[in-house]
Amino acid sequence: MGPGAVIGLGSSLIGGVFAASSAKKAAARAAAEKARLGAKLSSLERNRQEVINPYGDVESLSGMISNPFANLGVATKAAEIKIEEADVSLANTLDTMRATGASAGGATALAQAALRSKKGVAASIEQQEKSNQDKAAAGEQRAQQQRIAEEQRIQQAQAMGKQFVFGATESREQQQIDRTYSEMMGAAQAQAQAKADQTGAITGMFGSMASIGGGMLNA
Amino acid sequence: MENNLNRNLFLQQFNESDAIAYNQGFTSSTSDYNFRLLENAYRNTGRVYAKLKLAIDSNKCQDEACTLELAEIKHLQEAPQLSLDFLSSLLAELSTTDDPNFDPNNNFKYTAANSVMTAKPGFSKSDGYNVYLDLLPNGAQQIVFIGPAFEEPLVINNTALNALNESNTSLVAPTPDINKDMLRLLTEVGVFSADMIGENGELSAGAKITEEYVIMNPDGSFDYEIIDIGNGKGRNILKYDLDKIEKKVTPFINAEVAGLLSSEQDAVAAWNVYISRGTSVEEDDQMAQNANAGSSSWSYTEDLPLTQDKKVLFEKKYKEYFMNNYLKQFTTNQLPTVQADAAVFDLAEAKRAKAQKFIDDNNL
Repeated sequence: MGPGAVIGLGSSLIGGVFAASSAKKAAARAAAEKARLGAKLSSLERNRQEVINPYGDVESLSGMISNPFANLGVATKAAEIKIEEADVSLANTLDTMRATGASAGGATALAQAALRSKKGVAASIEQQEKSNQDKAAAGEQRAQQQRIAEEQRIQQAQAMGKQFVFGATESREQQQIDRTYSEMMGAAQAQAQAKADQTGAITGMFGSMASIGGGMLNA
Repeated sequence: MENNLNRNLFLQQFNESDAIAYNQGFTSSTSDYNFRLLENAYRNTGRVYAKLKLAIDSNKCQDEACTLELAEIKHLQEAPQLSLDFLSSLLAELSTTDDPNFDPNNNFKYTAANSVMTAKPGFSKSDGYNVYLDLLPNGAQQIVFIGPAFEEPLVINNTALNALNESNTSLVAPTPDINKDMLRLLTEVGVFSADMIGENGELSAGAKITEEYVIMNPDGSFDYEIIDIGNGKGRNILKYDLDKIEKKVTPFINAEVAGLLSSEQDAVAAWNVYISRGTSVEEDDQMAQNANAGSSSWSYTEDLPLTQDKKVLFEKKYKEYFMNNYLKQFTTNQLPTVQADAAVFDLAEAKRAKAQKFIDDNNL
């Protein structure tokens, strides 16, 4: 005595009912599994962590590179003092010469000496300026090299950052997403198979249904 | 709700135990399971069918077009297939009550109905049970269960059941296999390397969390925790960056929860059977019956659809359940991977060496 007696009629019919019942349960479970995996997949796709570019904050420091020799001052103060001293010395000597009745030739020689002294000062300034120009040029050359190196560093960092983000996005959740998708396809296949089993079981019962129809006619 | 829970638990235990085999009253009496659902349902249909046919053939219908008679004949012709379809759907639904992780918060009447349909001991005609299949005039069918466990007759209509099935809802909520889900989730959360996962899709024996999550010293060596194993001996165990692990696994757990919540009745079943109390599978196995949410259960009739608060609580407790019952074992008492560091050592000596290293390192 078993479930067959509960439902009644032939064993082939009962077998069909139970086979269809199992297939329906399997189809329902597969459908639920497919829905579950679908929701999981959506969540994984929706909540992908933003891939952080570790090089994203790298800034060009080229603005901080300057030529320390660009505006070197010339030591003109000392030159001015030297010129003033020469002028004062010339004036004092001229005063002495006037007081002692010295000749005009002596004064001329003195003035020439003062002029030579001033020319020496001018030559010194010129030399300093030349030296400064050389230093400024050399400094500018070095600064340019540093700016180029800095720009190269930035470009390289940007390229590495893009490469990292691409690589990380490709490898991280994608693996999990692919797996869930494949499981979802599996659940869909299981659902289709269960539906086919269900149809098969019910079709198999058609022959047995004659017993129910027979029941109608015999009553 | 408590009453329903207790009745269901009683029915489950009654069906699972062998107690009835030792009941003299039961063994000495006849158990009649001849409910003969289909035979009884179709007993008079032949006569009705003949009358209708006769009325049509002899132009004695209620109206000129024989509308009523033709409709009734159509219903009768379709009835057998409907009955078989209905019974197979009903058996599929009721069989959920036999699942080992069935949630006893489902309506206990379905457990009793399943016991009747599957001819379980104690649910026979002689025990006071009966079941009828009624062919309704509108072409629908209903099954009616009566007996001591039901109090009032349990009536299930085929059109209602079909509508539920069409919308992927169940009469009896199945409980997701949380143990299977969480074992799979372990492999998906990204803290184990691919070579730790076996062909069956589960973690292989001896699987370890990757070193990325192990705490290291600044010099690159492992920062061990020393545990006392008794008799003055100690061992090194690995220390894990639990915050980093949690950050890594959380999005995957959330995705799993989102999947579960796609069927809220399944989530309620998972809550009631596993998540709410937070007991482990091992603990459940040791008990007479699985721990269930008891008074903190969610009701299928009152708590669905789930409120946002309940969804958030579900996610929180699901995560705790996973972390405590599944992931924690991989972050606790893990021996060093460096063989030399894995040996048992003298605890006092190790402490002295550690103190000396501290003195040396700090030039004290």
